[in-house]
Amino acid sequence: MENGSFAHSQNTFSLRFSGLVQGIGFRPFVYQIAIQQQLKGQVSNDTDGVCVLLTTNEENALKFLKRLIDSPPTLAKITKYSIEKIAYQYFESFNIVESPTAHSGSRLMLTPDFSLCANCRQELHNTINRRYRYPFITCTQCGPRYSIQRILPYDRPTTTMQAFKMCPACEREYNHPADRRFYSQTNSCPECGVQLRLFKSDGKVVHTMGQLNDSQWILARISWELKQGKIIAVKGIGGYLLLCDATNEATVLTLRKRKHRPSKPLAVLYPTLERLREDAYISTQEAEALQSVVAPIVLVRSKKSERFSTFWKFGEAVNPNLNHLGVMLPYSPLLELIAKDFGKPLVATSGNFSGSPIIFKDDQAQSELGQVADFILTDNHEIVVPQDDSVIRFSEKYGQKIVIRRSRGLAPNGPLSHKNTEITPTSKNETTLAFGASLKSTFGLKTIDNLYLSQYLGDLEDFETQENFKHTLNHFLQLFQAKPTQLLTDAHKGYFSTQLAQELGKSESIPVIKTQHHAAHFAAVLAENELLETTETVLGVIWDGTGYGTDGQIWGGEYLLFNPPLYQTEGLSFLSKSMARVNHFEYFDAFLGDKMPREPRLSAFSLLKEFPEYWGLVSQKFNEKEWDLYTRLLQKNTLKTSSVGRIFDGVASLLGLLDKNHYEGEAALRLEELAGYYFNSHGYSFAEHYFQNRPFPKTIPTHELIKGVVQDILKDKPKDWIAAKFHFSLIKAVEIMANELNTKKIAFSGGVFQNAVLVDLMIENMGKTHELFFHQELPPNDECIAFGQLMLVENRKRVEHREVVFENYI
Amino acid sequence: MPQLDFDIITLGHGSGGILTNKLLETGVFELLKNPLLDEHHDGAIFELSGRLAFSTDSFVISPVFFPGGNIGELAVNGTVNDLAMCGAVPKYLSLSFILEEGLTMKEFWEILVSIKFTAEHAGVQIVTGDTKVVERGKGDRIFINTSGIGQVHEKAQISTKRVQTGDKIIVSGHIATHGIAIMSVREGLEFETEIVSDTAHLNHTIKALLDEYGAEIHLLKDPTRGGVASVLNEIVRDTRLGINISQKSIPVLEEVYGACELLGLDPLYVANEGVFIAFVSAEIADDFVKKLQKLEHGQHAAVIGEVTTEHPKQVILQSQIGGRRVVNMLVGEQLPRIC
Ligand SMILES: [Fe+3]
Ligand SMILES: [Mg+2]
Ligand SMILES: [Zn+2]
Ligand SMILES: [Zn+2]
Repeated sequence: MENGSFAHSQNTFSLRFSGLVQGIGFRPFVYQIAIQQQLKGQVSNDTDGVCVLLTTNEENALKFLKRLIDSPPTLAKITKYSIEKIAYQYFESFNIVESPTAHSGSRLMLTPDFSLCANCRQELHNTINRRYRYPFITCTQCGPRYSIQRILPYDRPTTTMQAFKMCPACEREYNHPADRRFYSQTNSCPECGVQLRLFKSDGKVVHTMGQLNDSQWILARISWELKQGKIIAVKGIGGYLLLCDATNEATVLTLRKRKHRPSKPLAVLYPTLERLREDAYISTQEAEALQSVVAPIVLVRSKKSERFSTFWKFGEAVNPNLNHLGVMLPYSPLLELIAKDFGKPLVATSGNFSGSPIIFKDDQAQSELGQVADFILTDNHEIVVPQDDSVIRFSEKYGQKIVIRRSRGLAPNGPLSHKNTEITPTSKNETTLAFGASLKSTFGLKTIDNLYLSQYLGDLEDFETQENFKHTLNHFLQLFQAKPTQLLTDAHKGYFSTQLAQELGKSESIPVIKTQHHAAHFAAVLAENELLETTETVLGVIWDGTGYGTDGQIWGGEYLLFNPPLYQTEGLSFLSKSMARVNHFEYFDAFLGDKMPREPRLSAFSLLKEFPEYWGLVSQKFNEKEWDLYTRLLQKNTLKTSSVGRIFDGVASLLGLLDKNHYEGEAALRLEELAGYYFNSHGYSFAEHYFQNRPFPKTIPTHELIKGVVQDILKDKPKDWIAAKFHFSLIKAVEIMANELNTKKIAFSGGVFQNAVLVDLMIENMGKTHELFFHQELPPNDECIAFGQLMLVENRKRVEHREVVFENYI
Repeated sequence: MPQLDFDIITLGHGSGGILTNKLLETGVFELLKNPLLDEHHDGAIFELSGRLAFSTDSFVISPVFFPGGNIGELAVNGTVNDLAMCGAVPKYLSLSFILEEGLTMKEFWEILVSIKFTAEHAGVQIVTGDTKVVERGKGDRIFINTSGIGQVHEKAQISTKRVQTGDKIIVSGHIATHGIAIMSVREGLEFETEIVSDTAHLNHTIKALLDEYGAEIHLLKDPTRGGVASVLNEIVRDTRLGINISQKSIPVLEEVYGACELLGLDPLYVANEGVFIAFVSAEIADDFVKKLQKLEHGQHAAVIGEVTTEHPKQVILQSQIGGRRVVNMLVGEQLPRIC
């Protein structure tokens, strides 16, 4: 195309766009521009993305391309594009044409589900609109996508909307270029669309009155039943939710009892942001997140402690012993109608039994949710991929975003902050499947051109979760017609994910490579911050509860170095290419298996093992029999841990916050809130800490830290002050180490960094002197492991020629 | 106890000389006396015909004496039970000791006495054996090996291959009792009521069941080391079928359950002696349990689950609070998994 005179002759150009380009109104958008620019040709979806053919001169083709790249559709994310001249084709006009059938391999990103858009919300409440109160209103900018997509590319016949034939009115919108539902694959209306159905818990249909049309009658009934204190299972975007009046304590307690969820906080759905502000402090960022296309659950600080708020009336049953509350706004038209009709906050929790995945199949909902809910509100629209609500939070002072659970609206693409376009291309047909960890399982798939990361799949000890893991995995492999050529697992042999990978590897003869847990955490946060390319040294502070270490011990308070300077590599143990463990929290005993993380008092005891003079502080937490037994077990125990998660547990127990967790992470959360309470009233600067300002001895002195805490407790120092000092000490444990190693770049990963107070404190104290890197779109907890495993492989490829490495692990 | 001029086992007792002779003649042979053993031959010679079962087991246990029994009983019961699980009526046993220098004659005698009476009650004869002594520190007081031969019951057709979909899974009694009894001694645990090992030979009970139900019994298993969980996992691995069990139907003594809680253990993984698992056809399952409940060691028998074609190769536990948990094969030591 370098020939200038040639530029004015007519040719056919093929323009291709990859990334997040389907199911977001890309084709109609292209159509509009083509019409504006009076171009002839066609646009279609294929398994690589969107393909535009234009027969015009070169100048026009480039102008068209520039227009699209400079301002793509709002929801689009173009990761790759190309233009090439192909054999001449004649076009009468510009048209959207049907997608060709799928072929293997894909550059497509899967489009996540989008929350109800402003236009549709307005129509939903507009009495003269033909979709007034239609619970399944959507447009090209909103509605379900990933959750209903069976195969690629995204098109009505490839989704579960295939079952619904558009009525003439809908058809007209679909075909009208100026309509905002032009080419909207989820288009439907009360005449032709999805139907609500209401069942009693015994599976009997609730009969309609015949006065109102069915769905309106059903919605009125729902509202009434909610007011009566009934629990309703509602089929949502990713599965069934359980709704009940959040202000009715008896109902909330009934829900807890039936769901076997005694005290884990429940999320609350508010009808409006205004109503929410009455009960909680909402920052600008939090408001934005709540109203975004993702519409996650956001953890916010409630006004529980303030008597004037209406919250205190119901707060205790919803989030016992906590001040933070998970809240959301209606993200689907059905929830919008229910929440607005009801007008008050509703508990909205996933429809399952604790530990099991969200229920999304109608028959299962009937058979199982009938035990929890009084009514089941369902519809005839099938869900293909179950998803929980995503959960995020923001640190209070610096607004650092922390993803706690990545699911609806965020999954299943790789983190966008990680440049998909720059994944090392491979000449071989390399497809890598990473199996992640265990308690917060996810998997990752990297094809030649793209990277996908499953939604949060939950605890793999649970049978239903395992089934769902396999179901989602098979769905992915089918969707992309991918055949993995290598499998990645954690080094922990007891993980179901590891065993599944080994089975698959054996039956299909695919090599299985094990990765070290904390190396995977580190690689994940490095990749998210585009640091895998750097040759500078980066300190990785990887703190979590449990990870299998290369020495057979349980790690969790780790300091890793990426690109350690050559003069420092002596004696370091490499966990992966260019990644070594430089230090860790001094080991203490890990005993009694999974009982220890469940009972913080055991961590407290283990941490005090070497200080019999302080045993009086913990002995009263045990009965005589337990105390005798555990004293003996501790003496002969050999398994050790460096887990910062367990240190949090131990300190929480010593401070008298709690001795047994009711749910995972409870102790750490309570300790964080206590410290947050102090910092909120005294500011984030702090002077005292539990380490002496000197280079650390061989390891981070865990016992010195604990001794300090105990002495303050014995001196009757205020608990919130001790909690604050403990948090600040952890900042010091990073600062001292970074200074010793002389590293300016520090990256943080591991479940401990879900702690927003710790993150704020880190930024406050080290943000000016060091470059700090946190996770951006992935949770710092084990949900990031699958991505990290994939990134370890990427990293290996990049540095293969540079270094000698530890060979047992990648 | 016979009159002997020594009260401690020394290396000399394993030398093959006079001391060995003394120990065997006045000790072992005198006590275990039976015509075949009296032959004092290098091996036992006897006649048996038909289908035979042959099994062996070694016993290494600390402590050697525990509430409810000692290593001697365990050594007889273990092999007798292994034979019974084959659907056989145990006939003859061999008995070999590896004694550690320093074991007292009193302890050894007590073990021998247990062996004698257990064997008598089980209806087996000890017909050949061996005794070795190792240096102090090279053993753990006493190790025992027993091997046994039994005659397979004419109605028995026991095989993993016969396990089929729909089969009911029955345990004969409270699980985890033995393992916890051992552990409570080892860890110095005390309970209001002492937990006592239920070690027992199950051959009489099994024979009665085979007489009655014959080929309807598809498989018998002895969930010793690794507990019920490991046995069920071996079966699903070998048959490629699935197993469903229900938590609330599994018999566990309350104090055993409490001890498991205390130790962070799952009773499904704790060792048993004196308990068997039967896979029987669904039609007879209820009768089988009723009959078993009337037999020795069977009072607490219960159907705990069934074989299914759902979830091949997996054992799934329906938990008491809803939700289903995967019961895995134990992988090495129990490493914490919760992050
Ligand atoms: Fe982790
Ligand atoms: Mg055995
Ligand atoms: Zn919309
Ligand atoms: Zn319509």
